[in-house]
Amino acid sequence: MWKYLLRRSAYALFTVWVISLISFAVIQLPPGDYVSDLVNDLRAQAGEVSPEWEQRMREIYGFDDPFLVQYFKWMRNILTKGQFGYSFYYKRDAVEMITERLPMSFALSFLSTMFVWVVALPIGFYSAVHKYSIADYFASFMGFFGMAIPNFLLALIVLYLTYKYMGQAVIGLFSAEYASAAWSWGKLLDLMKHVWVPMVIIGISSTAGLIRTMRANLLDELNKPYVETARAKGLSETRLLIKYPLRHALNPFVSTLGWMLPSLVSGETIVSMVLNLPTSGPILYRALIQQDQYVAAGFILMLSTLTVVGTFISDLLLAWVDPRIRLQQ
Amino acid sequence: MADNRVLLEVRDLKVHFFTDEGVVKAVDGVDLTIESGKTLCLVGESGCGKSVACRAFLGIVQRPGRIVSGEILFHPDGNGATIDIAAMDPKGAEIRQIRGREISMIFQEPMTSLSPMYTVGNQIIENIVLHTRDSKEIARERTIQLLDQVGIPRPDRLVDEYPFRLSGGMRQRAMIAMALSCNPTMLIADEPTTALDVTTQAQIIDLILDLQHEYGMAVLFITHDLGVVAELADDVAVMYLGKVVERAPVDTIFNDPKHPYTQSLLRSIPKIAMRREELDPIKGMVPNPFRRPDGCTFHPRCPKAMEVCRHVVPSVTQLDPNHLVRCLLYESQEGRPDESAPAGRN
Amino acid sequence: MEHTANDTLDFHETTEESLKLEVASQWQLMWWKFRKHKLAVISGIIVILFYVVALFCEFFSPTVPTTYLDVYATAPPQRLRLFLDGKWFPHVTGYRGERDPVSFRKTWEIDYSTYIPVGLFVHGDPYKLWGLIPGDLHLIGPKNPGDPFYLMGADMIGRDVFGRLIYSSRISLTVGLVGMVISLSFGILLGGISGLVGGAVDNIIQRIIEILMSIPTLPVWLSLAAVVPIDWPALRVYFMISIILSLISWTGMARVVRSKFLALREEDFVMAAMLDGCSRGRLIMRHMLPSFLSHIIASITLWIPGLILGETALSFLGLGLRPPVVSWGVMLQDTQKVAVIARYPWLLAPGGAVFIIVLTLNFLGDGLRDAADPY
Repeated sequence: MWKYLLRRSAYALFTVWVISLISFAVIQLPPGDYVSDLVNDLRAQAGEVSPEWEQRMREIYGFDDPFLVQYFKWMRNILTKGQFGYSFYYKRDAVEMITERLPMSFALSFLSTMFVWVVALPIGFYSAVHKYSIADYFASFMGFFGMAIPNFLLALIVLYLTYKYMGQAVIGLFSAEYASAAWSWGKLLDLMKHVWVPMVIIGISSTAGLIRTMRANLLDELNKPYVETARAKGLSETRLLIKYPLRHALNPFVSTLGWMLPSLVSGETIVSMVLNLPTSGPILYRALIQQDQYVAAGFILMLSTLTVVGTFISDLLLAWVDPRIRLQQ
Repeated sequence: MADNRVLLEVRDLKVHFFTDEGVVKAVDGVDLTIESGKTLCLVGESGCGKSVACRAFLGIVQRPGRIVSGEILFHPDGNGATIDIAAMDPKGAEIRQIRGREISMIFQEPMTSLSPMYTVGNQIIENIVLHTRDSKEIARERTIQLLDQVGIPRPDRLVDEYPFRLSGGMRQRAMIAMALSCNPTMLIADEPTTALDVTTQAQIIDLILDLQHEYGMAVLFITHDLGVVAELADDVAVMYLGKVVERAPVDTIFNDPKHPYTQSLLRSIPKIAMRREELDPIKGMVPNPFRRPDGCTFHPRCPKAMEVCRHVVPSVTQLDPNHLVRCLLYESQEGRPDESAPAGRN
Repeated sequence: MEHTANDTLDFHETTEESLKLEVASQWQLMWWKFRKHKLAVISGIIVILFYVVALFCEFFSPTVPTTYLDVYATAPPQRLRLFLDGKWFPHVTGYRGERDPVSFRKTWEIDYSTYIPVGLFVHGDPYKLWGLIPGDLHLIGPKNPGDPFYLMGADMIGRDVFGRLIYSSRISLTVGLVGMVISLSFGILLGGISGLVGGAVDNIIQRIIEILMSIPTLPVWLSLAAVVPIDWPALRVYFMISIILSLISWTGMARVVRSKFLALREEDFVMAAMLDGCSRGRLIMRHMLPSFLSHIIASITLWIPGLILGETALSFLGLGLRPPVVSWGVMLQDTQKVAVIARYPWLLAPGGAVFIIVLTLNFLGDGLRDAADPY
C-alpha cells in the first residue's frame, strides 16, 4: 500500500515537472516576445523607439537568456518565493491573477465532476440493468447527443435561448451587484443561482461519455460468475446488484477521473470564455494572444497541475475502494 | 439418510434462449429424478445444456433464457409438501428462501465465482445471516468452523482474506463451505473440478464425498469427465443437445449402456490397457445450435442411425425400472409400429 | 409433444446461412453484422453524403464563398417553396429591407409580392473545381444570377451562410482526416513499438503517453495555435493546425494499438507463424495488422469527431484557421457576441453541421466497433 502511494506520488511529481517544462517551452515558441510586441505598438503610436531602449527592456525581462536559464529562474521563483513572474499586459504580479482566478476554475471543475458523477452513475446503472429497454435506448441516444454537441456551441445556444426567453443572457457567475463585492452569504447564494448553467454545460459531454463507460462496465460485471454465485445464495436482486456488480463497476468509475479532468478543464476554459466567467479561461486566452508569457505559462502549469492532482486523488480513491490494488505486495 | 425418497423431480423441462439470431433450445425436454442423499451425475459434451438445466433448478437462468415449459418439483421434507420451482417468480422471495438454503450451488470457476472486492468470510457470513437471521458474530464462528471443515488451514485468519490471495483449490473449498453453510438438502456442483489441476481435483471430489456422508445431502454433479462419474455417482443421466438420452444407475451405464451416444462416449475415453488405435472418438461435431437436426438430434453422428431416425423424434423407453433410454432402437420393443427393423444391437 | 424440430426457424434458410458463415471472410462477416445496425448504416450514408458534398463543394454551393451583396447583410433565411398557386414553380420570396431610423440597423420583412425563381443545375458564380476545372454550374440557385438566395440567411456582410457552410465542410471535414493520418501513423508507430518490443521501451512510451494524457488539451492547443504566425499562408496554417490537433490525440490511438499487439502476441496463430520462422516484418504485416485493421478503422471513426470539434473550437476562438479560409469554426467566430446571436441566430447554422457530422460519425464508429468483432 505504502509502496503504491509512494510510486504514485513520485509519478505525479514527475508529471508536474514535465508539464512545467512543456508549458514554459510552449510559451517560448512564438517568434518575438512581449518586448517586440510592445515596440511594435509604440512604433505604431509614437513612431520612434530606440534600439538601445529595446535592448534594455530585453535585459530587464531576461529575454535574451538561454531557454534553460529562463526556465530555471522561473521555476526557482515559483518554488522559493511562490512567484510566477510579472504580467506585462496587466502590469500585475501573475500570482495575484492566478490566485484570483484559479480557485473559481477549481470550484467549477469540482462542481462539474460532481454533476457528472451524480447524473451519470444512476443513469448508467439503470441502462445496464435494463439493457435494451426504451429508457436504455433513450439514455444511449442522449449520450450520443451530449457527446456530439461542442460545449461552446451549447453555451452559445444557452445564451441565445436565455436572451430570447428571459430577456437577459446568463453571463458570468454573479449578478451585477455581487460581481465585485466581498464574499458573503448573499454572494454565495448568488453564485449558486448562476453556477449551475456553466456546470451543466461543462459537464454534459463527460456525462455522456461516463454513462456509456458505466453501462459498458456494468454489463461486463453482470455476466461475471460471482454475480451468479450471489444470485444462487438467494440474495434479492437489488441487494445483489448493489453489493456486487455496482461495487465492481465503481472502480473504473473512480479511475475515469484521470481522463475526465483534463476534458473538464478544457471545457471549463472555453465555456468560461464564451460565458465570460471570472475563471482562468478568459485570462489565459488573452495572455496567449498578447504573448503575456508568464501569465500564460503560470495558468497552463496550474491547470495541468490541477488535473494531475485530481488524477492522483483518483488513484488514492481507487486504492481505497479496491482491495486488489491496496494489497499489491 | 438414503431412504430412496425423491427429492427433486424434473419433468419435460424446456429452457430456450431467445436471441436476435433465433431461438436456442438449450434444454429441450429434460426428465430427471434425484433421490435424497444420493448423487446424480449429469454427463454430456460442452454445450449440451447441462449447465443451463441446473441453473433452471435454482431459477437463475438469465435473459435471454427462459423456462418455457415443464415442472421442477422439489420435495424439501418427508411430509409430502411439493414446490414447483419452474412456476415460481425467479426474483420472488419464496424461491430465494430455497436458494442457498435448501439447494445450494458451486460453480466451475473458483477464480471468479467469489467477488474479489470482499473477504471470503464476508461472502460466507452473508449467506448465513441471510437465511438463518443469526447475528454476525455467530455466523462468523460458524464460518470459521466451516472453513476448518472443508480443510482450509488457519481458518480464523483466512476468513478475513480476500479471495484473490487464495489458490484455486482453496477458493473452491471456500465455495463449498459457503454452499454448505445452511445445511442444504441438495448441492448442485457445476463442473467444480474442471478448472483445477488433477491432484486438487481428487481432493475436492473426496471432500464432496465426505461432506455428503456427513450432511446427508443429495448431490447433482455436472461433469464431462467419466472418471469422476465412476468415482462419485449413484445414478447417471447422459445429456445430448438439450435432452436426457439415457438414465440409469452408474453400474448399468458403464457395463450395459444402451444409447448409441452413451456407448460412443464410453468408447472415446482412453483406458490404460487399451492399444492406441482402439480409441474411438465420436464422429462429427456438435451441430450448430440454430440448426438442430430433424428427428433424433444424434442421427448425423450415430453409428447405428436408421432411415427413420431422420424424421421421428424418439420418446423415452423404460428398459427396466431404473433404466430409461431415448432411442428409436428400443421403441419397437414396446410394440410401437416400426417401418424398418432395428439394425443390430450389441 | 416431441415434434418440435423446426418451429421458429426456417431450417433450410438457416443451413444456407450457416454454410455461408463458415466460408465468409472477416470483412464479409463485419459487413453482415454492420448491416443490422440500422442507425449506423443511416449514419454512414449521411457521413458519405457530407464528404461527397465537401469533395464537390463548388458545385453544391449556390455561390462562391467570397460573393457578397452588402445590401442583403444580415438578411434572414428564406423558405424554399415548390408550388405557386398550385402550380409547379420552385421559388423563394424576396425581401424588403428597411433601415431603422434610430439605430441604423436594417430590419427585414418578407416581400410576398416578389418571387425569385429557383432551379436545379443553374449557371451562377464562376468557380474552379478543385482549383483546376473552370465551371459555373450549381446544383441549386436562383434562375437569374444575382437575385438574393439565402436558404440559411446572410451573414454580417451579406454572404450566403448556406454556401459558405458547404465550402467550409471541405476544410472542417478534412482537418479531421489529415490530423487522423498524422496521429494514426504516430500512434501505430509508437503503440506498435511499445507492444512488440515491450520491456523498458514500452514502459517509457507508456509514461510519456500518460503524461500527455493528463494535460488538459485545450490550453495546450490554444498555446500551440497562438504560436502559428499571422502571416503564414492559409495552406500552411491548415496543416499546422492539423498537426497541433493530432499532437495530443495520437496517444489514445497508441494505446489501442499497443493493447491489440499485446493481446495478439499471445494468440495461437501468431505463435504458430512465429514458430514457422515467419519474419518479423511479415508477421506484423501479414498476420497481425489485418486482424486488428477493423478495430483501427472503428477507432478512427470515433476519433475524427474529436478533431473536428477541436478545429471548430480553435477557429471559433480565432486561434485556428483564419479568414479568408472558411471552416465551420471560422464562420462561428461571428457569433462570439451575445448581441449577434440574439439578432441573427441563423449564424449558428455551422454549429448544426458540426453536431450532425459528429453525431453520425459517433453512430457509425459505434456500429463499426460492434461489427469488428463478428464472432
